[in-house]
Amino acid sequence: MSEPIDELRVRVREWLRPNLPPAPAFALPQNALTVTNDEQMSWLRDWQARLYDAGFVGAEWPAAYGGRGLAPGAQRAIDQELARAGAPFLVNNVALAWAGPMILHFGTEAQRQRFLAKLLRADEIWCQGFSEPGAGSDLASLRTRAVRDGNEYRIDGHKVWTSLGRFADFMILLARTDPSAPKHAGISYFLAPLRIPGVEVRPLTKLTGEGGFNQVIFTAARIPANLLLGREGQGWELATATLSFERGATQGSAGASSLGGAALEQLIALLRSSPPLRDDAVLRDRLAALAIEATALRYAGARMRVPGLVADRPQALPLMSKLVGTEHVQRVAELGCEIAGYAGTLWQDPAVPGTGEWPRSYLSSFAGTIAGGTSEILRNVLGEKVLGLPKTR
Amino acid sequence: MRYDEEHAQLRGEARRWLAEHVTPTELRRLATDARSGEPALWPELAALGWTGLLIPERHGGAGLGAVYLAVLAEETGRRLLPAPLLPTLLAAKLIERASDVAQRERWLPGVARGEAVATVAHVEPGGAWEAAATSATLEHGRISGAKHHVWAGGTAQLLLVPVRERTGLRLVLVRSDAEGVTIEPESGLDSSRRTGRVRFANAACEVLAGDATAAWRGWLPWAWLALAAEMAGGADAVLTLTAAYAATRVQFDKPIGSFQAIKHPLVNVLIAVEQLRTLVYAAASALDAGEPEADRLARMAKAAASEAYPFACSRAVQFHGGYGFTEDCDAHLYLRRALASRPAFGDAREQRAAIAASLLDGDGATAASLPRP
Repeated sequence: MSEPIDELRVRVREWLRPNLPPAPAFALPQNALTVTNDEQMSWLRDWQARLYDAGFVGAEWPAAYGGRGLAPGAQRAIDQELARAGAPFLVNNVALAWAGPMILHFGTEAQRQRFLAKLLRADEIWCQGFSEPGAGSDLASLRTRAVRDGNEYRIDGHKVWTSLGRFADFMILLARTDPSAPKHAGISYFLAPLRIPGVEVRPLTKLTGEGGFNQVIFTAARIPANLLLGREGQGWELATATLSFERGATQGSAGASSLGGAALEQLIALLRSSPPLRDDAVLRDRLAALAIEATALRYAGARMRVPGLVADRPQALPLMSKLVGTEHVQRVAELGCEIAGYAGTLWQDPAVPGTGEWPRSYLSSFAGTIAGGTSEILRNVLGEKVLGLPKTR
Repeated sequence: MRYDEEHAQLRGEARRWLAEHVTPTELRRLATDARSGEPALWPELAALGWTGLLIPERHGGAGLGAVYLAVLAEETGRRLLPAPLLPTLLAAKLIERASDVAQRERWLPGVARGEAVATVAHVEPGGAWEAAATSATLEHGRISGAKHHVWAGGTAQLLLVPVRERTGLRLVLVRSDAEGVTIEPESGLDSSRRTGRVRFANAACEVLAGDATAAWRGWLPWAWLALAAEMAGGADAVLTLTAAYAATRVQFDKPIGSFQAIKHPLVNVLIAVEQLRTLVYAAASALDAGEPEADRLARMAKAAASEAYPFACSRAVQFHGGYGFTEDCDAHLYLRRALASRPAFGDAREQRAAIAASLLDGDGATAASLPRP
């Protein structure tokens, strides 16, 4: 007899009461993509490990691989309770959202045993190595090479936008194993170790001036052949599966989902505290429009769980969620800058405390609308898969 | 959200029946056959049990709730049903909320059986639509005044009208054949939903016994929901129509739907339509559960509908190109309905003003935050 969800929620709340950590002396990043120093990293790893030890990470995953084997819906309930309590995010999110589910679905028994428990506990940190300087939206044109040599592959190439790269122990890596095959067919998917000779991690500075992203350069790096995921040449199929996890199209990620609407609540607070603007009809109208959009986003999850309410277009809401969520956040941040007015033109000016948050949110919001499939690519996908329109290319 | 097998069954039945009986040809025939005086398909709609959908079982109806209303309105909106079903459903709901038991028993069974088309006549000649804005008066039990843009104005037998009395707002029922009632049809944009101008000159009426202000406030979310659901159905149908056309219409040797200049705006329509449907079923479920957020969710649904439906239709006309500019193309039928539905019970701007007030006005302690599932 499995534990009812309501009891699980109570258990999470009761555990959190004595265990929710106070904010550290240093500033925590907003999410796993923006971790910049060792101090932040070690604090966040420790938090994830404690949460894992309490049984709240990988709750639905099989016990044989370090999970708790709870019924479907358990992780979602846990995530909601964590979000409600304002708990810190889980830092190993590339592992929880993508690498983990991929290994669970497509890995060998040995790969599952080797990696899954350690990633749930943040004992090993993962990053993603898909994009390259010449392969963004057209990912299948990637040029990193993997050449089989006995029991190893030799890797040469250049990966970009690897968040967590400087902290990571492993990378889900796409590399070309057969340059003579058509471009989608010659790609393979590796679980590549990074703490080996021939791997160089260089920081990449974002448009905000902040760090967080990296480039990873492989120069004759040698990795064991048994770290190939699936078969040689299956990489594109597996990458597509990963991107569907990334775009929220597939259930089953191990934790760290977020609830929408937080940015909008801040915007409401900002406008409430700006007396002359609070009564401006134009701003009120725009705020209400965003509130309606935020509410539709909030209820989309509840609707998706009712098959009869998505029967006409089963794929629409899952494929929309990343696109509309990130564009919504961008619109909210942009309106925040506008309402902030001149104050919104300052960037962490010591003379005016608290400045810079809205422009920083707005500049950062482009990460959402570009990474993991640009809004433009996603509109192609929706047009083709949901509306049945012919392919653009 | 609440939605089960029986909701799905009503949807399936409605979709099949409407596809068979409300064809584009039939719509056009009805448009030219304007003054027949008989509501289209009415006995059939009553036989299906739809006229009594919301009426309590003890008064001869099916006693079903808001999710069923949303389903039926969405499906009728999909086909631009040219019969006064929505006004009758909504009028019955308002009679139920504003009456005592004896009045409910007097009026509702006939409406359920389809013997009387009913409608709410609430829009002032100047366009004000809130009950509190009514200039119609009640003196010595008789009504005087005028209402415009009355749905089914030409075919309804029962008119439900907000009136002023010395003691405050009242709701009264007027028979359209009563002495002192004159009705003239309006020449409207949307021939699939006819409207009329009604004048009351010291006409006999029955004053409903309940608290009119409370009944109206409690009823408005049902009106927003019904209309938003109907508009969602129309927007969804016109999107499907346009996507199918874009997938097959060839120019420059390619289907035009392969061009991103067509594809991306159609996806924007898809997003607007699906967000609207989410809000519709969120509002319907909240209404059935009696949640306080139902009111705001229904407003949000009507606001979203008032933008999504005209948007979907404008893209439909545009992307059908020259054909879209002809009477033969169905896109304009939907566009007309969309434009005619937009101001009803408040357009997007009005709804957003109310939503903004709920978020921004009052002190911090009373400020509401966003609805949450």
